[in-house]
Amino acid sequence: MSASYQHLALAEVKPGMILSDVLLDKQGQVLLPQGAVLTAATIALLPRHGIVTLAVLHQGDAPGQQAPDATLVQQRLARLFRKNEIDDPHDWATGILRRYIEDFRLGREIER
Amino acid sequence: MNPLLLHDLLEHLRELPSLPAVVMELLATMDGPDTDLGELAKKVAQDQALTAKALRLANSSAYGLQAKVTTIQQAIAFLGFDSTRKLITAAAVTSNFPGGRCAGFDTQAFWRHSIASAACASVLARRTRFNQDVAFTAGLLHDIGRLVLASSYPVLYQQALDWRSAHDSSMLEAERAIFGIDHVVAGVALAEHWNFSDAMRLAIANHHAPDAPGASFLATIIHVADAIVHALDLACQEDDLVPAVSSAAWTALGLDEETYLQVFRETELQCEEITLILIG
Repeated sequence: MSASYQHLALAEVKPGMILSDVLLDKQGQVLLPQGAVLTAATIALLPRHGIVTLAVLHQGDAPGQQAPDATLVQQRLARLFRKNEIDDPHDWATGILRRYIEDFRLGREIER
Repeated sequence: MNPLLLHDLLEHLRELPSLPAVVMELLATMDGPDTDLGELAKKVAQDQALTAKALRLANSSAYGLQAKVTTIQQAIAFLGFDSTRKLITAAAVTSNFPGGRCAGFDTQAFWRHSIASAACASVLARRTRFNQDVAFTAGLLHDIGRLVLASSYPVLYQQALDWRSAHDSSMLEAERAIFGIDHVVAGVALAEHWNFSDAMRLAIANHHAPDAPGASFLATIIHVADAIVHALDLACQEDDLVPAVSSAAWTALGLDEETYLQVFRETELQCEEITLILIG
């Protein structure tokens, strides 16, 4: 079980919340993996699988979700990716990974 | 490659304390058909420390079991044979490998990176419909050659670590400069000596060269997982360095940004818990 989570009734669960544990149905089949970000569409489907409560991470506890300091994040990424030229056409995959990690650290995926 | 050193390395491998026999058997059959479950459970149960650790993993939140499993037989019944085999192997490898002979080699950081790579490889495998248990174990063992070099040649390995700091290079380059061989060669030698499955050996061999001829999809998964884990800073080393990601490997996985962000999140969550259980 993750360190900091709360059990919420399905009605209180909102899009953007993050599952703290794997979610199983009554037969023990995996519905959603640990760490899944809940969307309105997935939440709407859950009653059909007999789900009434969910364990979600406390807001702000999710990795990559603490109000991040963009400058610090970029400094650290510049250090980690110091062998990668950000626009090097021969090393584009490393550049994309760096961009995705930055989006992740700055929580940009939540608005998507 | 330095043939003298390679010969010498093989001598050292013989002196390494080996893993419990049951774990060697599991590694050899990692991507093969199920072996006799009852027999396996009995053998594992004889090693209490191993059993306890494997059961703690089985009861971790990643599996979401409704009730705690208390025996290896139960773990097999609830999680399946492949997952149980993976957990036992992880518990054994992280407990039994000698470390600490080379002062500058941070064994804890080594395992943090290996466990994070295992978690990430397993998450990537699920996204690409590959066998998650095989990917996890390959991720855990991909850099095992480093541990082999550091424990067999502590003085030389210290020189490689110093070379790396002085040149701000990758560990691979530093090892080649000092040893003439690298952790990939050492890892493959160990894989052969310990009779790892072919899939596992090939993944270790090609995790830095996933576009080499004959490289497997498993090597591609491990290559990308390794880079992600460096980029997520999960080994917590100030001078960590993200290796170049092969564009062929990136393309082969074919995942979009949304999926990667999920992969990052799942990796961080799983890695924290597994690390706590395996290396406390």
